[in-house]
Amino acid sequence: MKPDLTSSRGMWVMNALVLAAGLMFLSPVLYSIWMSFQTADAYYAGHLDFTLSNYELAVAEYNFARYLLNSLIVSGVVTLAGIAVATMAAYAFARYRFPGGNLAFAAVVATLMIPSHITLIPNYLTLAKAGLLDSYAGLILPAISSGFAAFFLRQYIRGIPRALDEAAYMDGANAFQVLWRVIVPISKPAIFSMGLHLFISEWNNYIWPLVAIGKEDLYTLQVGLARLYRINPGEDVIDWPLVMAASTITILPVLLGFVLVERHLVRGITMGAVK
Amino acid sequence: MSSIELTQIRKSYANGPEVLHGVDLSIAAGEFVVIVGPSGCGKSTLLRLIAGLESASSGDIMIGGTRANDLAPQDRDIAMIFQNYALYPHMTVEQNIAFGLELRRVPKRERLARAREVAEMLQLTPYLDRKPGALSGGQRQRVAMGRAMARNSSTFLMDEPLSNLDNALRVAMRTEIKELHRQLGATIVFVTHDQTEALSLADRIAVMKDGHLQQFDTPGAIYDRPANRFVAGFLGAPTMNFVPAEALEGWTGPREVELGLRPEALRLHRARPQAPAIEARLALTEMTGSEFVLHCESPLGRLTAVAPRAEGLPSPGEAIWLEYDAGAAHLFDRDSGARA
Repeated sequence: MKPDLTSSRGMWVMNALVLAAGLMFLSPVLYSIWMSFQTADAYYAGHLDFTLSNYELAVAEYNFARYLLNSLIVSGVVTLAGIAVATMAAYAFARYRFPGGNLAFAAVVATLMIPSHITLIPNYLTLAKAGLLDSYAGLILPAISSGFAAFFLRQYIRGIPRALDEAAYMDGANAFQVLWRVIVPISKPAIFSMGLHLFISEWNNYIWPLVAIGKEDLYTLQVGLARLYRINPGEDVIDWPLVMAASTITILPVLLGFVLVERHLVRGITMGAVK
Repeated sequence: MSSIELTQIRKSYANGPEVLHGVDLSIAAGEFVVIVGPSGCGKSTLLRLIAGLESASSGDIMIGGTRANDLAPQDRDIAMIFQNYALYPHMTVEQNIAFGLELRRVPKRERLARAREVAEMLQLTPYLDRKPGALSGGQRQRVAMGRAMARNSSTFLMDEPLSNLDNALRVAMRTEIKELHRQLGATIVFVTHDQTEALSLADRIAVMKDGHLQQFDTPGAIYDRPANRFVAGFLGAPTMNFVPAEALEGWTGPREVELGLRPEALRLHRARPQAPAIEARLALTEMTGSEFVLHCESPLGRLTAVAPRAEGLPSPGEAIWLEYDAGAAHLFDRDSGARA
């Protein structure tokens, strides 16, 4: 017999299960936020305390305000430029027939199969030759072209009736106006989803900034965070409350971003599930 | 108002067969032309070629006396209404109607005034702030018309714009479109597979089949003097009956032809009449409102006739006689199907 989820007992059980699952996912985050307000002494002694000193230390002493700015600039530009490139590529692949088009699209899809670490050295050598290491451009350029975003958006745009493009052409639009005034607004859920995906991917990117950047002033949050583990190599004890304060600074903008685009993101994720 | 002249238009797709085989069509400025034909006959392709949404493989497209083959759709001064309306789902009714004017950089105040004027004409004023998703089928259809009208184009192309509407709304919209044509005086090319729409709307009808133009004439001429067996069978409801002339009792005309008899040219008798008639058996009847359609089995094949409602009808299975009007018979060549 199937459980009756609409009965009041069934609802209670469901709510309890959902709450338990939510707590399970949230507990590490809540624990790290709680820990970030403890002093190191209190934490290791097992006492409860409340202090903002870890945040002050992370920002004032360990330059996390700068890392935050760097991460915002790099992730922000990568997201905007990446979405622009991916949308235009997706529109071209979805709407135009041109010689080599299928081959080019196959190449884009093929990039999804290549682990990012394979491209690490070629990218490094290319940017070194171009003199772009140790610069924002060196952090941003390799991340702008996202095969996944182009593929995802192309599939979405293919689902938009071609008659809308044609109606816009008849109304007097050129190809760019069709894209900007018709396709992009209709594709907003997919574009927001991809934007958040690109932003989070770039925000969490650790390996490439580590390889491409030597100047401490250009560190992103992830590189800066890793640096906290090796501040005092001679000491065995890691200042976990400080690390957690820095971690909280790292995850907060992503959470904020999620809240801002959540409405569009959920629609994006569920698109295609129903007609 | 623009005239449209199509000369020897051919269209074939890459690695595909030719879908239009040298179509010639001359549409006068201000004329209402309906292109009609069965699915796959090339009527929508022809419309899209006029619109510039597809390019002809060969032939000339002249719009308003100018060769338009290489002109982009936006440069042809043509408005188009699509079968599925193609309204922009993210824009309100007002924005949909004004979009074409906005693209042409018409000042905001002017274009909004025009959008409201058009909405008033089409009784869309209460819905100006709604998005297409919140409109009924008929309202969407009117928005599509409004979008086309707002630009004051000289030519309107309509690709089966009524096919998604229910019957009552379709009849109402048909009248509105006819009225619109009278008001605007624009050239209209209307594609449909519905012969009733074609006969009721057109100044002239272009009948197409398999990428060939079969006949281009006024509704009356096409109905009264169909150019071939296909046109005769396609236009007219119920469809024309075809019988071999030599098998028809009492027929005194040419015998090596096929005869076309419209249902109204057959008259029902319960007993053998004096005049030449076909012996048959009533298979079933359909009431259409003012009259009955009679489906009859005869030695010549299945025949369709019509009878007024007032007339007492025999029961299905009864023997009947169908008197034919020899003067109303159409003669077609047996091999080519052309009018004899």
